Amino acid sequence: MNQNTMKQKLNSFYLLACLVAPLVTVGCSSSGPPEFRLDMVKMVSEETPTAQEYQQEIADVLGALFGTPDEPFALPETGLNAIQLQMAAGSAWSDEKGYNHGLYRKHCVHCHGITGDGRGPTARFLNPYPRDYRPGVYKFKSTYNADRPTDEDLHRVLVNGVPGTAMPSFSLLPSSEVESLVEYVKYLSIRGQMETALTNFVFDELGEEEAEDEDGEPLLDGDGEPVLRRIPFNPAEDAEQQEVVADLLAEIVEGWDAASEKIILPEEDQIPAEERSDEEIAASVDKGRELFYGTRANCIKCHGPTALGDGQQDDFDNWSKAHKKFLSDVAESHKGEPTEDSQEFAASRDEVAAMIYPLRNAIPRNLRQGIYRGGRRRLDIFWRISAGIPGTPMPATGSAAPGGKGTISEAEIWNIVDYVLSLPYESPSRPLKALPANTEGIVN
Amino acid sequence: MFDKSVTKKIQPYSHLFQATLLAALVVTIGCQRGEELGPVASATSVAKIRSVFAGEASATGAAEEGSSESAVATATGWATIKGRFVYDGEPPAMQPYNVNKDQATCTDGGKPPLQETLLVDSGNKGIANVAIYIRKVSRVHESAQPSTEKVLFDQKACVFLTHVLPMTIGQTVELKNSDPVGHNTNISGNNSFNQTIPANESVDYTPQKEEAMPVLAVCSIHPWMASYLLPRANGYYAITAPDGSFEIANVPAGEILEVQVWHESGTGPKGALVLNTEAGKEMKWSKKGRFKINLAEDEVKEFELTVPTNAFRG
Ligand code: HEC
Ligand code: HEC
Repeated sequence: MNQNTMKQKLNSFYLLACLVAPLVTVGCSSSGPPEFRLDMVKMVSEETPTAQEYQQEIADVLGALFGTPDEPFALPETGLNAIQLQMAAGSAWSDEKGYNHGLYRKHCVHCHGITGDGRGPTARFLNPYPRDYRPGVYKFKSTYNADRPTDEDLHRVLVNGVPGTAMPSFSLLPSSEVESLVEYVKYLSIRGQMETALTNFVFDELGEEEAEDEDGEPLLDGDGEPVLRRIPFNPAEDAEQQEVVADLLAEIVEGWDAASEKIILPEEDQIPAEERSDEEIAASVDKGRELFYGTRANCIKCHGPTALGDGQQDDFDNWSKAHKKFLSDVAESHKGEPTEDSQEFAASRDEVAAMIYPLRNAIPRNLRQGIYRGGRRRLDIFWRISAGIPGTPMPATGSAAPGGKGTISEAEIWNIVDYVLSLPYESPSRPLKALPANTEGIVN
Repeated sequence: MFDKSVTKKIQPYSHLFQATLLAALVVTIGCQRGEELGPVASATSVAKIRSVFAGEASATGAAEEGSSESAVATATGWATIKGRFVYDGEPPAMQPYNVNKDQATCTDGGKPPLQETLLVDSGNKGIANVAIYIRKVSRVHESAQPSTEKVLFDQKACVFLTHVLPMTIGQTVELKNSDPVGHNTNISGNNSFNQTIPANESVDYTPQKEEAMPVLAVCSIHPWMASYLLPRANGYYAITAPDGSFEIANVPAGEILEVQVWHESGTGPKGALVLNTEAGKEMKWSKKGRFKINLAEDEVKEFELTVPTNAFRG
């Protein structure tokens, strides 16, 4: 390499550095500090078409209740720990005592996004997509299907990661940092659930009404038509709205507070003994197998006659279903004659539709791989089969609420646990014909 | 491909290319345009609203006065609304479902069942499965109090036998499977639920929260199966019969009642049925599928509602 080319190399290195540096620093921050954004799919959907003035007001109320990504805020009634939120929020730095701040942005944001919408910069390239926290729905937890997860559940997910997905393990973080992150995930969920609740409230209860004069007589315009007035959404100036907002928040927080009372605790006398003989285990596996391929537990319908996950594959998870509906509504609206309403939102609908990630079917798990996303302990598998996997097609077989009755007994669920855990070691060619139950069921 | 001299000419700039590529990558990946959509909170409004919720100030504007609420306190007596929804066009032909699972059980000898997205009586053109209910009331008659009676929600030949099922909250629904194959019932909304229903067995479901609009119940195993549930705080609801008729009895008289009308294929938000006809305009039927009435004691208000074809999707 002669001097000249060396110089050239250096020159172009500087050029490169100069070109890229401002882009990195300015490119994204030109729009100011990171902000929480609304779920635009919901805002412009046909379900809850929300006019721009209302979008602004909803953003303002959420800002009042939850602050910003740099300065989180939580009312005492949310029970959220303000100090932990501070540790998790903001940009990443360490203070003089060595405490790390900005944990969420350091460890999570590139997948889960600033708003917790599962739309960080890398999200589009992952399968499955990172969790969108906003509906408050979690898959791998100890509680009944419809209930929120416990702090411990979220803690477990962070420590173990979700094996077989991009979700990494954070077992190397000190547990105080994990706790701050758990608090922050809950905070983003409560904010997201509140956004939905407010959007529904605004759609259901507000909008335009006929204006009245001081005497309560309808105001008429020049043509004798009633004058319409937009009812603003501003809880600072309307005590009734303030009460509604407080009630909606209380209901959401109550769901999180109640989680610890909604844990599925297996009945002691149904739990298989620690020490079982090979014969006992084999007998339980056989029972589980019969159930798995039978018409009572139905596992075969989705996980397929070979448990490779090749049964019913057409369905979607709840996060995708909302997008699927939106996209098909948008496609539909391009067909028909544009109405006044559809035009109001048409441009933004196309823009929002363009940012939706490609839809993917919810594929039942290949159970011969022996990779369990929600954990491989027997109890983990028991919880999955008993409560189902919320937000996905996988249904519950145990009770839907404390004190309820399951579809199958707990003893039977434990049999299936035994069978599921034995599946990776079972020969796929083990003939199924021996089981009468599946002779009809498999013919798909 | 390239002639040598061209390659040479490009070479000195190759870092520039790299830089541009890198820059482009940063721009496209780092700053996703999509994230920028929608408003952000305004600091001044936030401060005002927060002070109210943090208990430092109270909402200024008082709750609305002189509205219907204060007027109803004195009203007594009950009234009835009834009527019929009639389709203003040729009854549409329903397409068969795409049955691609369990053909033996789910088809009638290979013939799949027909969809029920818009059922119109071929004779009198009545529209079935319109849900019509009162949004809010100040008092509830004995006959419309929440019920404790169990209601049946059966499925046979991979079709939910009730297409739109209303119930009062706290009322238990028997999710029944009358098929020899397994189903699961996956219900969305405020009372979300997803449970396996074994062949020829039943599972109970008790919604505890009201819905503003009917919510979907589907089967993930047989994705064509779809039906709607409507849990309400009181019994002021009706689902139109195959002849399009409905009746809601014993609604409070002497107060403004807002009536919500819904149909699975309604073009309004969440399936709201919007009557954009002269008659609808006269009733001030809203884009959300609502209209208001105020009935006298013992009045029986009868509606004959002719719905144009463009009020429905598809
Ligand atoms: C490399 C991308 C990536 C990073 C970084 C990441 N996650 Fe995830 N996360 C995922 C994916 C993908 C899933 C979805 C897994 C699934 O659906 O099975 C997920 C799921 C989750 C869930 C839901 C688990 C459940 O039970 O439903 C939580 C909670 C979570 N992540 C929290 C975090 C937190 C907190 C951080 C930062 C400390 C983080 N994640 C960092 C990709 C990531
Ligand atoms: C309606 C379809 C459906 C039925 C029926 C069904 N599953 Fe699943 N199952 C799924 C889907 C979809 C997933 C993947 C969910 C996810 O993680 O997103 C899954 C995942 C699983 C997992 C993986 C859990 C983990 O931690 O990775 C297990 C184990 C499992 N199912 C067992 C069963 C058993 C046992 C039955 C019968 C009692 C059953 N499933 C019935 C659809 C179904």
